[in-house]
Amino acid sequence: MDRLNAWSPRVLSLLRIITALLFMEHGLMKLFHFPAPQPGAPDPLPTILLVAAILEVGGGALLTLGLFTRAAAFICSGEMAAAYFLVHAKSGPWPALNGGDDAILMCWVFFYLVFAGGGAWSVDALVRKRA
Amino acid sequence: MTAGTRLALWRPRVLSLLRIIAALLFMEHGLIKHFHFPARHGAPVPLPPTLFIAATIEVIGGGLLALGLFTRPVAFLCAGEMAMAYFGFNNKIGPWPALNLGDVTILFCWIFLYLFCEGGGAWSLDALRRRLGRA
Repeated sequence: MDRLNAWSPRVLSLLRIITALLFMEHGLMKLFHFPAPQPGAPDPLPTILLVAAILEVGGGALLTLGLFTRAAAFICSGEMAAAYFLVHAKSGPWPALNGGDDAILMCWVFFYLVFAGGGAWSVDALVRKRA
Repeated sequence: MTAGTRLALWRPRVLSLLRIIAALLFMEHGLIKHFHFPARHGAPVPLPPTLFIAATIEVIGGGLLALGLFTRPVAFLCAGEMAMAYFGFNNKIGPWPALNLGDVTILFCWIFLYLFCEGGGAWSLDALRRRLGRA
């Protein structure tokens, strides 16, 4: 059990990095069609999707590094909540069927990062150690 | 009370909320496979054995994780199931998670792996058992 507890801040950082990269991928698909165009996103992007994509690329990059984790996570969590209610909730109430469980999971992982910080392996932790 | 200590106070509670939400979403996928609730979606009828086992883990494991009972071992089992689902199913469609429908699977897998290390948080039957055991 002590071993598990010792690993918990490290696994938190891994969870943060993985979630941030998956989040960033959706922004890269919208902005740069990498690795492929986002299915369903119109070209050119309407303003609201452009803002969303910029938050996903910029916020995803900061969260991957673990820089300004709490602030970035708060903004990204809010973006995912907006995405769920503006897009997914309109195609039905059940997350597994409206394609929204992705958005819900990212929203809550980021919300938890607001409270927990970036974990052991993050630029934030590095800066704290240096100070 | 400073903002920092307030965030720290709420951390184990928000962890429990993350656990409950993730567990219910996970359970929903099992209920869809086993009972076609809330709807039928994709899986063949009758379920092949691997999907039958997966759906059973999703319903029972999701139920236990939603309650926060035996969180660590159950989370480990569910994380393993999600890893197998990713490599056995999503990864065969293609390498990019946003395109092979695998990012939900990956998120479940890592959230559960984190719960295995961290436990179920403040609002869980495990925490209640610990408190009653001490009293």
